Order: sequence, then C-alpha cells, then structure tokens
Amino acid sequence: MLITDKESFKRLQKLNQLALTEKEETDVLAFFTARNEDITALGAVDTENVERMVHVMPMETVVREDKEIKLFTRDELQKSAPESYEGYWQVPRLVE
Amino acid sequence: MRYETVIGLEVHVELATESKIFCSCSAKFGGEQNDHVCPACCGMPGMLPVVNKHVVDLGMTAGMMLNCDINRTTTFDKKSYYYPDLPCSYQTTQWFAPVAVNGLVDIETSKGKKSIRIKQIHMEEDAGKLVHDDWTDTSLVDFNRTSVPLIEIVSQPDLSSAEEVIAYLERLRSLLRFAKVSDCRMEQGSMRCDVNLSVRPEGSDKLGVRTEMKNMNSLTAITRAIEYEVARHIDAIENGTEELVQETRRWDDVKGKSYAMRNKETAGDYRYFPDPNIMPVVIDDAWYNGIKASLPEFPEIKRARYIDELGLTEYDADLLTASRAFCDCFEAAYEVCGSAKEVANWLISDCMNILNRKQMTVDELKLDGKTLGELIKLCMDGKVNRGNAKKILMEMFDSETPIDPAAYAEANGFIVSNDTGKMDEVIKAAVAADPKAVADFKGGKEKALLAIFGKCMKELKGNCDPQKLREALLKHIDSL
Repeated sequence: MLITDKESFKRLQKLNQLALTEKEETDVLAFFTARNEDITALGAVDTENVERMVHVMPMETVVREDKEIKLFTRDELQKSAPESYEGYWQVPRLVE
Repeated sequence: MRYETVIGLEVHVELATESKIFCSCSAKFGGEQNDHVCPACCGMPGMLPVVNKHVVDLGMTAGMMLNCDINRTTTFDKKSYYYPDLPCSYQTTQWFAPVAVNGLVDIETSKGKKSIRIKQIHMEEDAGKLVHDDWTDTSLVDFNRTSVPLIEIVSQPDLSSAEEVIAYLERLRSLLRFAKVSDCRMEQGSMRCDVNLSVRPEGSDKLGVRTEMKNMNSLTAITRAIEYEVARHIDAIENGTEELVQETRRWDDVKGKSYAMRNKETAGDYRYFPDPNIMPVVIDDAWYNGIKASLPEFPEIKRARYIDELGLTEYDADLLTASRAFCDCFEAAYEVCGSAKEVANWLISDCMNILNRKQMTVDELKLDGKTLGELIKLCMDGKVNRGNAKKILMEMFDSETPIDPAAYAEANGFIVSNDTGKMDEVIKAAVAADPKAVADFKGGKEKALLAIFGKCMKELKGNCDPQKLREALLKHIDSL
C-alpha cells in the first residue's frame, strides 16, 4: 500500500484508528512520500532467481507439544480490565 | 441471455487439537466465558507465541489429503485489523508462505465428475466471540475461542452452482474427518465458509462484480444464499435494479435475503507483514515422511475394498465408510471375529440404534473394535445368545471402564449352558403346564409352539442354544 496523497493517507489513518492533528498529518505524509521513493528504488532491483528471504534471522521456530495447561484463572486476568461483567471483558457497544 | 455463475470458497476448519495454536490454553468448544484464556491469547503486552506442533501436523495432513504441495518452510504473518474480539489488533495467519498450495479435489454431481483446484491452505488463529448486551448497552467479549487453531482452505473460482458447492463441502468434510483433522461440525462452527460469487454472460472471459457472504455454517443456508445471490446479480445486470458493488454481505436465513455489511477489503488494507515473533517453521524429511505415512486410506478406496475383498453390499459399505470411527471399529472387530457381514450388521443395526438413542453421531463412537469383535465371536460360537449379547453391548457403551465380554457374560450368567438334562427338565415342565398349547400345535397351529418355547427360554434365562431347544421341544412333543 503506497501512500501517495491525502486520500490514501486518510484511509491508512482510518484502518489504524489514528487521530492526528493537521500538522502531524502534514509531517507524516511528507515522511511517507519520501519513503515511496525508497520503495520504488528497491523495486528496480533484479530479484530473478533470488530465493525469498523468509525471515531476517537465520533461525527456525521451536514448537511445543499439543498439551493443555491451565496457568491463569479468569479473575487473575481480569484484574487489569477497565470493565468486566459476569466474566466478560466489557467494551463500548459495537453495533446499533 | 444465459449467465454462468463463478464461485470460489474460503472454508475455515477448526483443528482437532487439545490446546490453542500459540499458547497452552484449552481449545475445547464452549466452556464458561473466558475460562480458556491466558495472557498470550488475551493479547497482553510482552507475551510471545509458541507454535503448537500438532497444528502443523494437521495443516500438512489436510494439504496431503487435498493433493497439495507442502511448503517445507512455512511462515506466519500478521494481518492487521481492529476489532475487540481480536485482542492483539492483528490476526496471526499465513500470507507469504502458507503450509500447503496447489491442490486438487474431485467432486461428483448430477452432471458428472469435476476437479476443483485448491489455491492454498493456511494455518491461523480464530477470533473471540462478542455478545451485544441490550441490558448494559455494551458489548461483551469472550476470548475462549481466540487463538483456537484453524486452517483456511481457499479454492480457485472453479465452482459454478450450489450443487457443486455442496458436493465440494461434503467431500472436504469427509476427507478431513477421515484424516482426523477436524470434526467438521458445522452446527458448532468448526467448519464454516465464505462464499465469493459473481455472475457473467455465458462464454465471457471477464469476471463480474464479486460479492462475499461470510461465515455460512449450514449446507441448506448455503444453497439458499447462493440461489438468492445469483438471482439478485442477474436481476441487477438485466434490469438495473441496483448497482452491484464489491462488498461483504450477510445472509439472513430466516428472511431468505442477503444484506450488505461493508465494502470488501483488499489485501492491502490488512497490511500483512511477516510476524517477527515467530521464526519460520521448517519441515524436515522425517517430519514430512511421518505425516505422509500416517495418512488414512481414502474413503472411496476403503469402500471398494469392503465390497470387493470382504463381500459387503454397497449399502453396508456406504454406511460404514461415512465415518472414520465406524471404519476403525469395523476393521478391528473383523480382525478378531473374521466375519465382515456380522460386524457390519452389529455396527449398522445395533450400535447405530444405541447411538441414536443416546443422540450421538457416528463420529462419537468410542467403542473398542477389538472388544466388539470378541463379543461378536462369543455370539457366533453360540456361547452367548444374541439377546444377552445386546445387553453386554449396551453395557460396553455405558461403562466408564473397559468391559471384557467373556468375563462379563460369565459373571452375569449369560454363558449358554450345555446342560441337556436341565433343558429336558424345563421342557417337560413347560409342556405339562400347558396341555392346550400342545393340543393346538398338534392340531396344526404352528404358533402355539412359540408360547411353550418362550416359557422354556424364560425358565433357562436365555442361556441355551435356541436351535437345540427347539429341536428338543419338538422331539418331546412328538413323543407324547
């Protein structure tokens, strides 16, 4: 997703739930526009027959066995919840 | 003008694991709200995911069952979207290197055979559940389902009718259940699909406007929804009743209508990027070959073998191969007693009746096949009569602990007696007590014998060979 103008930047803001001031908007848009040039420059590199780099670290993941372990109770986890109700996390209503 | 429908499916299948994909919480369906949760699946800061190996096993198994190529280095990515049922604000899924790609599934419809191409199978975590509460005017979040492992099976747009979609889903369900990848219970949401559909003039190579109906979990609803959408698209194209736009729609099965939910997101909107917290999963030869060796015989191959080699009828073979649990039980029991027909009868008739009474599905059959074989053998050898064998079978279903049929029969007096002296004694007493029945039988009323036979059997508590009893009874009456 290249950020090329105010419209595409507004869409990115909406997707990320970001509220920016007008000054912040101008600064961040300028930053993104400059990065576009870098990205376009990278696109010019010939990657034919180059194996995809799957991760920056030359490591592979560890895996665990499929075993159920209960480590926490609901009450312990909900201590930090701003609001909870009958065992649920409670959030502002999402649909009318 | 004639139109053709183009359909692609994204099928989500919850995997049959004990624990979640990235943490050790229970992956069981249901439970008290937020009882299967920990800081990792609640998205608490600083918590890191650890991949459940069995999820990769099952992802590979599904890929192999659907004739896919397996990516021997497969990676996880973050798919960003904000919603309270997704506590990290991203879903961990696979975008750049899914576990399986380029598969093929054959289906059969009234128009014949067709091959449906599979684009990819990727592993990912499920989202939580939201309850919109009118009383408190808030939304309530349950994270039990968050991080429950899923695979998403993405087909190419090769389907062209509701009939083909249903045949494809039934085929997927059969293969995945057989391989024990998932129980595929649509009513519990462990198999659900998104239907991507467009309509175009027949022969056109340009695709029409595509709409997506999400989270469909009933075959009937899917059929109705597809038929409705096709009619809506054609009406819009021919009569201009509305402007078709690319969007996500919701199917209301009660009203029989689909409704717009939101504009369809594009892949760019999700801002996929490699998950830096999970290193690549590298599948070495030993792991790959182990999964390959564990694949079950395909149901249609089993069916043919049951008919050709074991002499079962097509009807019996169809019923048995509808479920992996039935097949496993059948094969183990056959191994012990050596009569395929007897085992098929016991499973299809007696076991099915018990399952129905208990409101259980065939996939929930927990009966040990070897023990069932031992019970059938006792019956075939005339050591326990069928009535008592059924009682033992019922006990095998009900008991929490394993039942040894021979020991149980012995302990409960179910072993058929070879004591002919006692049998003769009982026959003499029964005949003497009912001279009218004897006279009626001698007078030509065949049924009159049944009354005396029943009394003898009751007196002997069923523990005799019915054929021998009948012969002895007839002999005694003849001698009078």
